[in-house]
Amino acid sequence: MPLTPSPRTRTASIASNAPSSTSPFTPPRQSGETMRAASQTYGGNLSSLFSRSTSRQHSHRDSPKSNIAHPTNSPRRLELGVSDWALTGTGSSAGPTPSKLKQRRDGTLRSRPAKTTIRTGDRFIPNRQASEAIMVAGMGKPDADKQRPKTSGSGSGEGSAVLANAANAFDFHGAGDEAAAALQGLSLDDDDNPSKYTRTSPNTLAYQSSLASACGVSLNTRILAFKPAPPEQTKPIDLRSQYNRPLKPASATSAQFRRRVLSAPERVLDAPGLVDDYYLNLLDWSSGNQVAIGLERSVYVWSAESGTVNCLLETSPDTYVSSVKWSGDGAYVGVGLGTGEVQIWDVEEGTKLRSMHGHDSRVGVMGWSKHLLSTGSRSGLVFNHDVRIAQHKVAELVSHQSEVCGLEWRSDGAQLATGGNDNLVCIWDARSLTSPKYTKTNHRAAVKALSWCPWQLNLLATGGGSYDRHIHFWNSTTGARTNSIDTGSQVTSLRWSTHYREIVSSSGFPDNSLSIWSYPTLVRNVEIPAHETRVLHSCLSPDGQMLATAAADESLKFWKLFEKKPGTSSAVREGSISSKGGDMIKQMTIR
Amino acid sequence: MSSDFAAPAYIRFYSRSSKLIAEFFEYSINTILYQRGVYPAEDFTAVKKYGLNILVSCDDQVKAYIKKIMSQLNKWMIGGKISKLIVVITSKETGEHVERWQFDVQILCKTAKTKLGRGSTDKENHTSGEVEPPPEKSEKQIQDEIQAIFRQITASVTFLPMLDGNCTFNVLVYADADSEVPMEWGDSDAKEIKNGEKVQLRSFSTSNHRVDTLVSYRYADRSTTTRSP
Repeated sequence: MPLTPSPRTRTASIASNAPSSTSPFTPPRQSGETMRAASQTYGGNLSSLFSRSTSRQHSHRDSPKSNIAHPTNSPRRLELGVSDWALTGTGSSAGPTPSKLKQRRDGTLRSRPAKTTIRTGDRFIPNRQASEAIMVAGMGKPDADKQRPKTSGSGSGEGSAVLANAANAFDFHGAGDEAAAALQGLSLDDDDNPSKYTRTSPNTLAYQSSLASACGVSLNTRILAFKPAPPEQTKPIDLRSQYNRPLKPASATSAQFRRRVLSAPERVLDAPGLVDDYYLNLLDWSSGNQVAIGLERSVYVWSAESGTVNCLLETSPDTYVSSVKWSGDGAYVGVGLGTGEVQIWDVEEGTKLRSMHGHDSRVGVMGWSKHLLSTGSRSGLVFNHDVRIAQHKVAELVSHQSEVCGLEWRSDGAQLATGGNDNLVCIWDARSLTSPKYTKTNHRAAVKALSWCPWQLNLLATGGGSYDRHIHFWNSTTGARTNSIDTGSQVTSLRWSTHYREIVSSSGFPDNSLSIWSYPTLVRNVEIPAHETRVLHSCLSPDGQMLATAAADESLKFWKLFEKKPGTSSAVREGSISSKGGDMIKQMTIR
Repeated sequence: MSSDFAAPAYIRFYSRSSKLIAEFFEYSINTILYQRGVYPAEDFTAVKKYGLNILVSCDDQVKAYIKKIMSQLNKWMIGGKISKLIVVITSKETGEHVERWQFDVQILCKTAKTKLGRGSTDKENHTSGEVEPPPEKSEKQIQDEIQAIFRQITASVTFLPMLDGNCTFNVLVYADADSEVPMEWGDSDAKEIKNGEKVQLRSFSTSNHRVDTLVSYRYADRSTTTRSP
């Protein structure tokens, strides 16, 4: 730097500056020097002064600040080192003093304590200019020299003196011309003009620091972020459900499901020739603990107790069995045929009791209510037959436009639910069958799965086909939909447990599984992959513990899904399903 | 000075305290992720800690992610480099910061190594140069204080706005400028929430640290949207 030659003062000043600068500006200069001299006197004050000085204040203020930066330091040093300086320096106290305005005035007052400081007051003016120059570095010294003399005169901080000083300073510096001009023009005010700052790398630093402090951020800290992106959540989250969760969700479900569900079938039977047709209903389990299954043209009866199989009937070759259904007492089985004929067989005797005609297309589903047999056909018609009388057809239920594939009487016989390929669910009042009590259009695919809740009479569950995949729950009194589950696959059948507050659904593609759902929480307690192809039919054993499923893989499987805990009475009334069940529960086995 | 012979004990307590704080952070992050639904509830299991059931993630990826953060945090904590830890929850859709959990760490008594070098001007003016350490707290007291914070975090879901569930999170720290910064960490802005509401939660302190908790969140969607140009 040009100025450098001036030995003591400058160096001193610089050194002093560094310490003072420590707070905001310091970073560039700080190095080691500051440490010694600065610490006691200047400490925080200087820094604050500097920071302010950088920006705007009047000449007085500025000058002190700017002065402080350079000369102040020097004075301090001087003080430390040499007494002589005292003459020049006396005013200096201002430098150390925090308040800028006061500095000059005070300077005189304070001069005693800090002699050097006085100069600072003078210097300040030039310094501003210098400040630019300062950046450069050496300038300070020459200023200081001349300033001192002047300063003594100017000490009060008069404008003229200041200007003069400034001019002097500039001359020496060489850099200062512009600044000097600016100063004169401005007179006292100074100058914070941007022009002055142009050079200053230090200024920018100062600016940064002041900015940082204004924002409450310390330059001494960095905000660091852990850069890697956090793992994606596996699925969208609905916080509302989360808020309502019990604290330990996992244990809650497991507690509910302490009873273990065997995921392996209890028994597997071959069912060769089982027609892979969603719209048929070919499996039923009687209250007498016999399972009837329709395999192509034959109906077989498998006795769960003895394990024996009988072929009950074989149809004529031009047709096939499209549905089977046991009567409530387990003595008779109704058989629907592809021709639309409905036969009633006495299983004990192995004889056909009667044939009932009326449908002109296949009868895919049937349901008994005491002596009434309801049959649904491909035409969409549902007939009620009173099997005791010759004119068996007692009612014609017209609503469905397409094949009826689901049909269930409520256990008390007061209501009938039907589902069809027209995606409709109809709920009929047994006393008025001319039109359905409710017609529900929520499903978007054929409705085959229908089940009445055993413990709440007016609760009906219905499940839709491939494009729907939902289970809907209905209040059959009000017609309201009370709940829904999206199962994710075709719902082929639904069965309520008689022992647990649960419902089991069987499904088609893609899972071919059985799912047990708690009701009304709708939590899926367990999902069992059941078959290799879609599960077509299911039925519960009369004691309610076992589920039989038949699937397109031509197998019939028995699952112990609702095993009763010993000693607990069934949560649900048993009567509806197993009239004889009371005794049977203990002894029932399947061979 | 008295600190000369006291130092070993201090250091010992100090690192223990640091670990405690780091651990607190770990559980806090997990709790926030759970309570605010950043990850699905199924991904969390309850563990006993601070006399509470605290839900921590059992998702391998999330666990690994937090572990990485924690290992670095531990180092910084022991070095006394950290002044704030922040968990920012950001909406994935808008990229807006919707919630910001801030933990301010204050080092109560700066022993030997930690911060002598900087900010020393004030310090050196104090001839004694050290602050009286507060009376030692029992483990139980500290645990109770921490427990209270977790209860508050859990309870805060009642006043925090609903999140849409499609959120992600970031961890920030305010570290000293001279900290060693591994590759995975980079400078960031403060990710402050515009027009956020702030709620100061409880604090706890150990013999060496004090931690203040603050949550800020975006308040009243409509007003902010209308306000912003």
